[in-house]
Amino acid sequence: MSKNILNDLPELLRANVIDEETAKRITAYYDAKPNASSNRLFVVFGILGALLISMGLVLIVAHNWDDLPKAAKLFIGLLPMLIGQGVCGYLVVKDIPSRAWREGCGAYLCFTIALSIAVVGQVYNLEGNFPRFLMVWMLLTLPAVYVLRSSMAAMLYVCGVTWYACELGYFHYPSMPPWKYWPMLALVLPFCYTEFIMKGFKNNFYYFISWLVVLSVTFCIGAFENHHEDLVIGMYMSLFSVFVLLSELKAFETHRVLTNPLLLVGSLGIMCLLLLLSFDWYWDELDRFTEQDNLASMEFYFTAILSALAVILMVFVFRAKSIASINLKGFAFLIFIALYIMGINAPGSAQLLVNLVILIFAVYTIRSGAKQNHLGILNYGLLIITALILCRFFDTDFSFILRGLLFIAVGIGFFAANYYMIKKRKQNA
Amino acid sequence: MKKFLLILFVFMCVAQWLVPAKMIYDNEVVVTEGLLYKFRTQPVDPSDPFRGKYVTLSFDANAIVLPDSGDWVAGEEAFVSFGEDSLGFATPASISREEPDAPAFLKTTVNYVENYSDSPYIINFTLPFDRFYLEESKASQAEQAYWQAQRDSAQVAYGVVRIGKGQAVLTDVMINDKSIVELVKELNTTPE
Repeated sequence: MSKNILNDLPELLRANVIDEETAKRITAYYDAKPNASSNRLFVVFGILGALLISMGLVLIVAHNWDDLPKAAKLFIGLLPMLIGQGVCGYLVVKDIPSRAWREGCGAYLCFTIALSIAVVGQVYNLEGNFPRFLMVWMLLTLPAVYVLRSSMAAMLYVCGVTWYACELGYFHYPSMPPWKYWPMLALVLPFCYTEFIMKGFKNNFYYFISWLVVLSVTFCIGAFENHHEDLVIGMYMSLFSVFVLLSELKAFETHRVLTNPLLLVGSLGIMCLLLLLSFDWYWDELDRFTEQDNLASMEFYFTAILSALAVILMVFVFRAKSIASINLKGFAFLIFIALYIMGINAPGSAQLLVNLVILIFAVYTIRSGAKQNHLGILNYGLLIITALILCRFFDTDFSFILRGLLFIAVGIGFFAANYYMIKKRKQNA
Repeated sequence: MKKFLLILFVFMCVAQWLVPAKMIYDNEVVVTEGLLYKFRTQPVDPSDPFRGKYVTLSFDANAIVLPDSGDWVAGEEAFVSFGEDSLGFATPASISREEPDAPAFLKTTVNYVENYSDSPYIINFTLPFDRFYLEESKASQAEQAYWQAQRDSAQVAYGVVRIGKGQAVLTDVMINDKSIVELVKELNTTPE
């Protein structure tokens, strides 16, 4: 941006838009300003370098040098961590603010901690309890996040605790609920709050971390599933509603849809679940599901806790915004609860209503896209309708002619809506 | 703020050293003071992303036969002490929920309980020393050496394990009383 302005200065001078004095002041301003893009590059390459070095060290030690004595192996395995701590200590004592150094050191220290634990396991042939290894590794990495105020270390930490929960809940035999995942994840949240939300400063690190946290919770909550498939959908519906409601709060607002994982994952998740519920298998099997002791299940507790959280968030959102301006998908958990209760006695009606709810959400999204003059949101609404029609394509007795006409209608809708929007933009330009 | 960061930094360094140091200390105690057992085994050769290539050992002595279930359930913590059979290999002697008053016992978990009609209960438990790390080039050769030895029924493979009070350390894997590491070295030096 600054380069463009500097290049345009002679032209602006010739056209008498600015005078000589202003041109000099603009040049002096950009000369004195540190170059943001080169700083950013320095941070990126610092992180990449640290990651490659530390991962390389892990691989070299994993070779397991048979000819070295035990003490030498331990010394070589532990030395990289000592070096990382030395650099970290220097940065803290000298109060060096360089982002590149802090981020690079955080990434390096994270992997050398893993190395130090792994080398002891290797020397003493310790058993392969991988989830425990991941837990200890992450808990030892956590202080580095705060000491260095390193977003990269925080990102690696979130990845690590997610890996831990998935190992224990999905890949381990016998699988068990990874209860420690929640407090471990919570331990990194104060960093996110103080570093980004409290300061109102949202950079790329914030976007990456928020994406990681949202995806982590989405993946890991499934690890608590315990054979109550009907309530798993309720659990996820409440979770996605919480995401959508959180995205409505000022603290989590971002300028672009792609940088707001709460909104994106929440909204897409709700729509996918509703489309899943629009098939008859769920409602046909609801009888069998409800014969189980649902009220004592883990899925029920999670649904109840997340629904309560969504209600609390709703109160906060209502205080800040009018009902009309709140994203309708935030109410999805209430709709699901009502449909679930209805579905126990009248599954057919509940299934029919799910289709209606999807249609309402789709129309609401199209309207919202048109209002905000946002082609992406508008087309997302149209895609919801298309997905609904596609789903019905497989399981209804509609005639081919009717289904064909529906597809043509939606196709025309796509064309007309986009044409209208682009035309409106041109008129406003 | 800086003072707090310095305290946190010191805490971080202490914690990061304490974990490997405690692991080294605990295992050294077992290696120097634990009793020696030989566990019959069958190795295979997988790899760990952090610790490298290793030989996985599958031991015979991972179950104990009881006349009744003793209400043992999968996942339960157990203390197992070992004796020796007529050939000098380890066999589980007793299993309990409390620490036994013995010089060597293993703290482990019950995997599953087997019971068929009119037969005694078999309590299967984990032996937490199922990995023997080797230099990456040697791991698959070690496995081959083992399978060659297996063809000859007179040869036998076993893990040398030191057991202390609760913990165990696998110190070597032997094929016919020769270390698997030495065996691979010999294979590499012997001309084809």
